[in-house]
Order: sequence, then structure tokens, then C-alpha cells
Amino acid sequence: MSAREIAGRTALYAVLAAVTVLVCFPLIWAFFTSMKPKEEIFLWPPTLWPETWTLENYRALLEGRDAYFQAGAASGTAVPPSAFFLDWFVNSLIVTTGTTVISTAVSTLAAYSLTRFRFPGQRAVPYLALVGYMVPSIIFVFPMFLVMVEFRLTDTLLSLILGYVCITLPFCMWLMWAFFRGVPIEIEEAALVDGASRLRVFWEIVLPTAWPGIVAAAIFTLIVSWNDYLFGRVFMNSMENLPLTVGVMHFFDGTHVDWGLMMASSVLMTVPMALLFMLLQRHLVAGFGAGAVKG
Amino acid sequence: MRLRLSDRQVGILFMLPLLVTAAAFIVWPVAEAIRLAFYRYNPLRPDDLIWVGLDNFERILDDPLFWDSFRQALVWTGWSILFQTVLGVGLALLLHTALPGIAIFRGLLLFPYIVPTVVIALNWRWIFNSEIGIVNHALLRLGVISDNIAWLSTPDMAMASAILLNVWKYTPFVIICVLARLQTIPTELYDAAKVDGAGAVRRFLDITLPMLKEVLVVVIVFRTIWTFNKFEEIYLLTRGGPGTSTFNLAVYAFEEGMANLRLGVAAATGVIMIALLLAGTIVYVRVSGFGREEKPA
Amino acid sequence: MTASTRLSATRRRLLQGAGGAALAAGLAAPAIAQGGPRVARVWGEPGPYGGVFVQGMNEWAQRNNANIRFEVEQIPWDGVTVKLTTDLAARRPPALISVESPIAYQLAAEGLLEPVDDVNTAIRAKERLIEGFTLEQFGGWKGTNYAVPVHHQPCLLVVQQDIIDELGLGNPAQWTWEEFANAARTITEKKPGLAGYTMALGRNLCADYQITQLIWQAGGMTWDPADQFKTVFDSPATVEAFEFIRRLNAYMPRAAIEFSFLQVVDQHVTGRTAMSAYWGRTMGRAAEEAKPIFERMEYYLNPAHPRTGGRWSWTDINGWIIPARDNPFIREVKEAVAYVSNSVDWMVRYSQSLMPNVGPVFKDVASAPAMLAHPFYQTKKRTLDVIFERSVPHACNTGLELKKGVNPLAGIAHGSSVWAQAVQRMLLNNEAPKAAVEWGHRQFESIRRDNRRLIGG
Repeated sequence: MSAREIAGRTALYAVLAAVTVLVCFPLIWAFFTSMKPKEEIFLWPPTLWPETWTLENYRALLEGRDAYFQAGAASGTAVPPSAFFLDWFVNSLIVTTGTTVISTAVSTLAAYSLTRFRFPGQRAVPYLALVGYMVPSIIFVFPMFLVMVEFRLTDTLLSLILGYVCITLPFCMWLMWAFFRGVPIEIEEAALVDGASRLRVFWEIVLPTAWPGIVAAAIFTLIVSWNDYLFGRVFMNSMENLPLTVGVMHFFDGTHVDWGLMMASSVLMTVPMALLFMLLQRHLVAGFGAGAVKG
Repeated sequence: MRLRLSDRQVGILFMLPLLVTAAAFIVWPVAEAIRLAFYRYNPLRPDDLIWVGLDNFERILDDPLFWDSFRQALVWTGWSILFQTVLGVGLALLLHTALPGIAIFRGLLLFPYIVPTVVIALNWRWIFNSEIGIVNHALLRLGVISDNIAWLSTPDMAMASAILLNVWKYTPFVIICVLARLQTIPTELYDAAKVDGAGAVRRFLDITLPMLKEVLVVVIVFRTIWTFNKFEEIYLLTRGGPGTSTFNLAVYAFEEGMANLRLGVAAATGVIMIALLLAGTIVYVRVSGFGREEKPA
Repeated sequence: MTASTRLSATRRRLLQGAGGAALAAGLAAPAIAQGGPRVARVWGEPGPYGGVFVQGMNEWAQRNNANIRFEVEQIPWDGVTVKLTTDLAARRPPALISVESPIAYQLAAEGLLEPVDDVNTAIRAKERLIEGFTLEQFGGWKGTNYAVPVHHQPCLLVVQQDIIDELGLGNPAQWTWEEFANAARTITEKKPGLAGYTMALGRNLCADYQITQLIWQAGGMTWDPADQFKTVFDSPATVEAFEFIRRLNAYMPRAAIEFSFLQVVDQHVTGRTAMSAYWGRTMGRAAEEAKPIFERMEYYLNPAHPRTGGRWSWTDINGWIIPARDNPFIREVKEAVAYVSNSVDWMVRYSQSLMPNVGPVFKDVASAPAMLAHPFYQTKKRTLDVIFERSVPHACNTGLELKKGVNPLAGIAHGSSVWAQAVQRMLLNNEAPKAAVEWGHRQFESIRRDNRRLIGG
């Protein structure tokens, strides 16, 4: 390697490192703040590195409600919002999983059907999916809410799952459609000629090949439903039924923000997605490349 | 027993869940939204639904705030897209180089895309707080500025902060798309150009850019439509303020529906947004040639 | 609860979370849950206000075997109207609400509330009310009362006494607008890094409240309930108040233009302003977080307008209200509210749950020995007197302007913070005060037109 190349590389690393630090700073800040005791959070001038490390914020979030109900009757304090954190976390998990399963399953089936069989209106479906894909949730949210009122579903996790299915399905539909178009049909035909049933071909040959596309659709759905705030804000009301994004807003009580709790929740909310992302990052690039942005 | 379905039956069976879900939870709400646009509907009194014809639309078109929101949405979208594209392509090129350890940088730089908007907006409200935020403190210490910057409290700066947040969060999307395309460009092209004596800049302009053109057009159209209609980033960071200087149509619709209790007006705003969106989609279909080749590959 | 029992509870909860996370909601409260009581939701204002009161209600439920559990829900800062709107639209309102007066008046006029004259009789509210308040002010509409008095909160002048004394700025109790503005200027000039004054000017409720009290002090108002609710916002008095706000703005932090409740308190408690407009919570937070600030903090009545002498304070005259429709708990809620309101003990605990932010509204509570035993009375007696009693004659709010009568339109105008928006037009867009006031006038007039059915007939 020449001296010039080494210099070039070093410069490149330096640029990358600088950009990365800048980009990640809000999360680094969140992490260190979440580890500080209350007295340190408002220190002036502000510090990044905690002087005393504490897991107090995490303990408060993960303690759950039982502890407070048991203590509450005796000590006369109200249940603090942090005691609901575990409920919110579980709600978000349920909602995200439910949405992901429904959206990917429905869209995979439909996309396969669209690319392998002929029926009237076939050509219109991807177009409609494309339009649906771009309709912003702010347009859906009020009428969806009224539909939920009709079904008596407001303030239930099911209403959130249905809401998220409605905003993610078009994209998944489109992505899977694009994906199946690119999967060669010859192997399937060979299997069919050999006498395998359509369902078996689908299960044993098509699904395994479609896996990268399904993963990409699933990641998209996971991100949307884990991160949404608007539907949660409008559909849900009871403390114990909120998703995380809406719940953590309770750490602002108008005259006081518990930044320690807020930052600890930020970390806990980001970690599951980050882990998934690390695991599946490659598929995301491959899947989006094949589907979403195919010209 | 062996169940044997004909292809036609399988086809219909596989489509059924989509049709049912879409009808109940996409078509119905959109139809409901369009219907509501012609009614006066106060959510506090769910039983009184009053037909008002085109009143809601007239009201919107007469409302200076609607036009402000529209103009601001254009500013917000324009700058967001410009920065996202330039930074996205630049970073994607950097990340495409074959350096040891590049995968780590790639992971970290794509990270903002998955961070919940709630988390990042609240974080920003704090670190960009003009009095007690660490950003101003750091800039002061470094001598970059001599007086606190009012990040969120003048109309221009609040808009800039909102754009910055949007760029932070969605540039990774551009990176992902561009990276995906870059990985399909055959390296032989570059080798040939090198042999011909083309420099790095030439190679970028002659090979990379034309190859990226297609994907960039698509990404830009998509991001434009989404950004134009974004709600959460703005609402959680500035709530449309100071004043109404960071309102866009989505925030306008939300405030009309929830704060002013005029769900009909909110729905009418939604209808206008859908109309704009259809126009955008047509542009997209034109420029991308989507659906022109209709044969299964 | 000791640290070790707490830890073991944590461990149990974690195990439970791992084993049967989905069941968590059902297992919420094993201690009380036997027999599966029905849950009645109660809304407190943003903040931990409602908690203690609701515990009192649960005591009633237990003693009477009512098979009901009241659960307080805090309304988050981002959600007062959204939550109200969606819950009522979904026909599943909470069983009981404590919400800021203008919204309570609005709901009463909409016909959405249950009359509570029976509860008020049962707790002898009329006789027990502190001098200066009437039952109607908590939520009366057309001769019926829809609110059970629970607390009051005045917005006053909060100062750091040491700075006032050091700069020789006189006695804030005797200030008029003039001396007050001069004091703010002097502080800004002499104390770099310290704002002279802080109030909220963002597009939010807090700014609405703090702006309107200046308008009343100058003698202006928004609508006149005594004259068919005519819109009277565009008076010279309002313009004068706007000009005064512009003058004060020069001594405020630059970011005040986006401040709401939280930022004003933050500013004061972190020692970045010498004076601010706020309710009792600033003192409460200082006591918890910043002892030195707390020690030198004093509250005063708002500075008097030089011509009118007005010292009006935006006061939340807060009562419990009960949604009438789709509410299966009306009877139980009424009995439980009466039970707690009748107990001086519980009411003292309620008032002290957030000292000195929830002012007692009943005489027996205000003078109860347990109330006076609170440590704040040792060092801050004068300030507590100002907040709890001496502010009462100056108490009104946007739904009860100049005490001329209840006005349900204010709640609607707060939905989009029209007052704050008008001021922001002046401060951000450099509109002339008169033009900004006229803009506001047009908005208020259109609100009145759109909601004639609320006030007419």
C-alpha cells in the first residue's frame, strides 16, 4: 500500500467516524443520561459521562405495577406512569408481532396469486397498492377511528393491529408483487408437471425462495408498527392499553419532565429494533433493492 | 384424503384475505373520509352529523392558514429532499468502498431509520433547547457561536430544525436504496474506465451517476410524497410552532380535527391531500415507466 | 417499603413478565382484584393531581363493598383535547374528570355533563366554600351546577427575593405595571445571563392563560357574557396589554416564544430568571430540586394596572365533572366524591399532594391543623397566604372573565390557542399590536358564530 493510499484511507475513516458520531450523538446522549442519577441530569455545564452510574431509571421502568399497588395502599401515593412501562412494552410487542404476521401473510398470498394466475382487474392491483402505499396515515386515522367506534374496538390492541395492517399492507403487497415477478417460474412448473399440488409447490418451493422478500416486508412492518405514534394517540385511551410511543409521553407532566426515565425508555424502545436491524440489515438492502425501488 | 384445488380456486383463495382486509380497513375508511368531508361533525357530539355540502372546502380555501401550511410544506419538503439526496448518495458512495470494518459503519449510519420518532423528537427538544441544551453549550465552548441559537423559537430556525430532524431520520432510506443499486453495478465498468485513464470524478459522472439515475428518480418522488404529508416529526418536535410557522397540511388537518373539533374540515383537508397525492403518483408512474413491461420476468 | 422487599417484588414482576407477559394486564392488581371489580376511569389533569383523591374514592368503594375500583389516568401534556375528543367520540368517557375550568364550562354547555347539585348539597359545598368563591364559578350553566369544587390554582408573580432586594427594586406587593417592567429591565441589564421575567408565549394553553390575565388587568376581555357574549376583544385595553407584552418580551429569554408550562418552570427552577408568571408548582418543584432557589422564592399578587388597579389572576377554579352519556358509574362516582369531599383528612392530603399547587377550596380544609402542619408553613407562610387566600378576590379565568359570568366559548378558543396566536403575530411577524388584536377579534367572532347554539336560547 502506498503512502498516498494509506493517507486516503485514514481520511476516509476519519470522515466516516465523524459522521457516525454526529449521527449517533442523540442516542449516545440518551444512553449516558439514562445512567445518571436525578441530581446529575441538570448539571450545568452539562456533562456526558455520568459521575455516578445508576440503574435506578431502568429499575423504575421494569418494576411493574404490582409493586406499586402493594405499596400504594400503605403509603398513599398514586401509581406513577413508569409503573405501566412493562404493560406498554408488552402491548407494543403484541401489536407489532400481530401486524407483521398479518401483513406479510396476506400480502405474500395475494402477491403470489397475482403473479401466477389470471383474473380480471389483475393489472390494477399493483397500481392501487402503489396509491395506498402513499396515502399518509393522517388521512386514515380519523375515519379509521370512526370505523373502530362502529366495531366497538377503540382502546383495544386489535384496533391498533388493524390500523397498522391498513397502513403497511399496500407496501408489503407491492414489495412482494415485485419480488414474485422476479422469481423464475420454471422450477414451479417442473414440480407441477411432476404432479405436485399447487399448495405443496407454494409451501415447499415458492416460500423458501421468497424468503428475502418476506423478511424485507416484515422489517418494514415492524418499523412502522413499533414506531407509530398517531394511531396509538387517537385509538387508545387507558393507561394499561397504550403502546410505548404514546405511553412514554406521560413522563412529561406539564411542569416536569423526568428525563432520566424518558432516556431510559428511549434506550429500551430502541434496543429491540436495533438488534433486529443488526441481524437483518443485509436482507433489508437486498429486499428493498429487489422490490421497493425497482424502476 | 388429499385436497386438490384447481389453480383458479387457489388463486381466489390466496386473494381473499387481501380483498377482505382492504375492503374493511382501507376502502371503507377512505370512503368514510370522503363522505365526512361534506359534513359538519363535532366529535364531542358523535350523534349530530350535519350535511354542509362544499362548505368545508370553501372554508379551507378561504383560510390563510391552509395556504401558509401549503407553502411551508413545500419549503419543508424541498429542503428535506435536497439534503437527503445529496447526503444519501454521498454516504452511500463512502459506505460502498471495500474497507475493512465498513459493515460496522454501515450498520450505525442506517440506524436512525429505525429509531422511533417519539424518541428522537423528544431527545432533540432537549439537546437543541436554546437555554439548557448541550448543542448550544458545545458550540459556545468551541467558539463557533457567540450567542445561544434559538433552535426552535424563531420561525426560520424551527423550520430548519424540523428539516434537520427529517434529514437525520430518513437519509438512511436513501442510503439503503442507493447502496442496493450500487451493489449491482459491474466492477468491470470501472476497471475499463481506469484503463482508459478516467479519474475518480470522471468515473462518478460517467458511470455511477447514470446508473443511479433511475433509482434516484424513484426515491425522490417517493420521499417527496411522504415528506410532504409527514405528521409526527413536525408535531412532536414543534407542534407546528412557533406560531404556525411549521404547520404543514397534515398538522393542519390534525389541529382542525382534534383541537378545533371540526372533523369535517379535517376530512376535507385529507381529500385535498389525496388529490395532490394522485397527481404525485401519476408523475411517478410517468417517470418510472412502472408497469410498462407487464410480463412476469 | 424497604429496598429488599422492593427488589423481590421486582424480581417477581420480571419473572411474571417472562412467563406470561400477555397476562400482565389481567394480573395487574392481585391485592384488590379478587372478585374482579369493575374499573372506573378517572382523569386527573396532567400531573399527579388526581391520585390521592382517587385513593380516597377507593376507600369508599372498599368500605361499601361497591365492587368497583377507581383508577386515575393522567392526561399527558400532548393529549388533553385529543383524549377528551376521542373518548367522547368513542362513547366511552371516563367516569369522572378534573379538567381546567374553560373546558368544564364548555362541556357543561354542550349538555354532556351530569348535574351535581345533589352532591354539592350532600357535602354542604355552599357553606364550606372559601370566601370569594361561588358554586357557579366551578361549572354552573343556566342555573344548574355541573361541578363539585375540588381545588383552585391562581397564576401569580413569582420572584427571587434576593435579587429584588440586592438591586433595590422595592416591594413587589406594591408594584404597578410600570415598576414591574422597570424591575424586569433593571435585572436584565445588571445581571447578565439572567432573564428579568419569564412567561409562556408559545402556541399553547399556558400562554393563553398568562396573556389573558394581562388583558383583564388593563380592563379588556374577549367576550362579554353580560351582553349576549358579544366579541369585545378589539378594545384599546387589549391593545395596551399587547403593547405591554411586547415591552416585557425584551426582558424575557429569547425562547419564551415557544415556552409552555414546563419551560417557564424549568427556567425559574434552574435559576435562569429572576421573576416569572406561574401557579404554585414552581415553588413545589424548587423545593424538590433546587433548595437555594426555593429558599429565596416568594409569590406576589400580579402587579396592578396603573389606571384600573386590576390584579386579575388566571385561576383554575377546578371542580369534578361527570360525563352524563355512556357513563355506567354515575351513582357510585357521586357517592365516592361526596365521601372524599366530606373528609377533611382526605382533602388535606389531596391539597398537600402537590404543595402549594392545589389550593384548598373549603374553609375547614384550609384551616385544618393537619394542613397548617405542612413544613412550607414554617418558612413560606406569607406566600401560602397569597396563593391560597389573598388571590381569591382577583380570581377569574378565560371562561369567567372579570367574574362577569360563565362563558363556554373559551374552551373552544383554547383548542387552537387563539390568544397566544394573536400575540405571536405581533412578536414573530412584527404585526402592529392593533393589527394582531384585530386578527384575534376576527377569530373569536368566528368561534362565536360557529357555536351560537351553545350560548343562544
